[in-house]
Amino acid sequence: MAGRGKLIAVIGDEDTCTGFLLGGIGELNKNRKPNFLVVEKDTSITEIEETFRSFLARNDIGIILINQFIAEMIRHAIDAHLQSIPAVLEIPSKEHPYDASKDSILRRAKGMFSAEDFR
Amino acid sequence: MRVSESEESSRLLDEKLLRFMEQLELLEEKRAALNALIEQGWFSMSKARYSMGNKQVSALQYASEMEPLVCVHARTLDNGVVDFHTERVKQTCSNETGKDAKSIEDIGPKEEGVRRRVKSKKDISQNDASKEETSESAPEVKPQRKSDQIPQQEPLKWFGILVPQSLKQAQSSFKQVIELSAEIAALQSSVLNTRQELKHSMKDKQILQEKASAAQLDKEAD
Repeated sequence: MAGRGKLIAVIGDEDTCTGFLLGGIGELNKNRKPNFLVVEKDTSITEIEETFRSFLARNDIGIILINQFIAEMIRHAIDAHLQSIPAVLEIPSKEHPYDASKDSILRRAKGMFSAEDFR
Repeated sequence: MRVSESEESSRLLDEKLLRFMEQLELLEEKRAALNALIEQGWFSMSKARYSMGNKQVSALQYASEMEPLVCVHARTLDNGVVDFHTERVKQTCSNETGKDAKSIEDIGPKEEGVRRRVKSKKDISQNDASKEETSESAPEVKPQRKSDQIPQQEPLKWFGILVPQSLKQAQSSFKQVIELSAEIAALQSSVLNTRQELKHSMKDKQILQEKASAAQLDKEAD
């Protein structure tokens, strides 16, 4: 597993997950834990956050793709993740187009022009 | 001496700022490409659903066994930037062809089994020769079925054997999205790294400026 490289995980709506699984990123490990989470209307924020944290804790995941509207629900958890691996990438969803001003990474990059940096 | 030092630090700061802006521009470009590709993928998927049926291509059809066909290699460079690049697992190609052959072989024996049952009901007084023929073919079927236990790896086949072309187009779009997302992840890492460098350079410059102004004040006092 380690020699093969890392996995790409997805947290997203049904179409996003289906698309990426078609692309061949899906995996069910020995404990039958998937590397994706299909978020439906009745999926709780706690469940999303727990899955996100479990993906962060797994050392076989290199990139986590997450729909931006779902990322908004667990923004605090995403902002708290400062390590470079796994990288978190916010992607658009069918109903919600990508908004760069909400992206954690870009907001962090913009932060360099804040008053604090010039003190 | 002090002036040249501050000039040098300003030049470095400018260089880093330019690099930072270039990286941001590239990130924006790649983001736009990624968003367009994802949209294309969804559009193709919707087209496939239109021809296959509304309930098709859903999460309920995912396979119970999955093996990743693509993996990402993360390499930390000397300056702390993490470089991501994707790699398709090549072994599966040969496995897939093997499984294709098995699945094709599997169709024949299944049909034969059904045909045999129909014959036994209708033609009870059929001659023994034909019965022997069917009983001879039966043992050949069993080992083939036993060997076909490995899960299917081609995700397209979860949704049917003959899937529409649009679903294949959706798959190719998402394959490109996966590659692009690895590039974006690497770029995000370098953007954050450059930002950190800029912050340090700014602080260094401030310290230099403070020292210079303090020295000037001392001179004036003398």
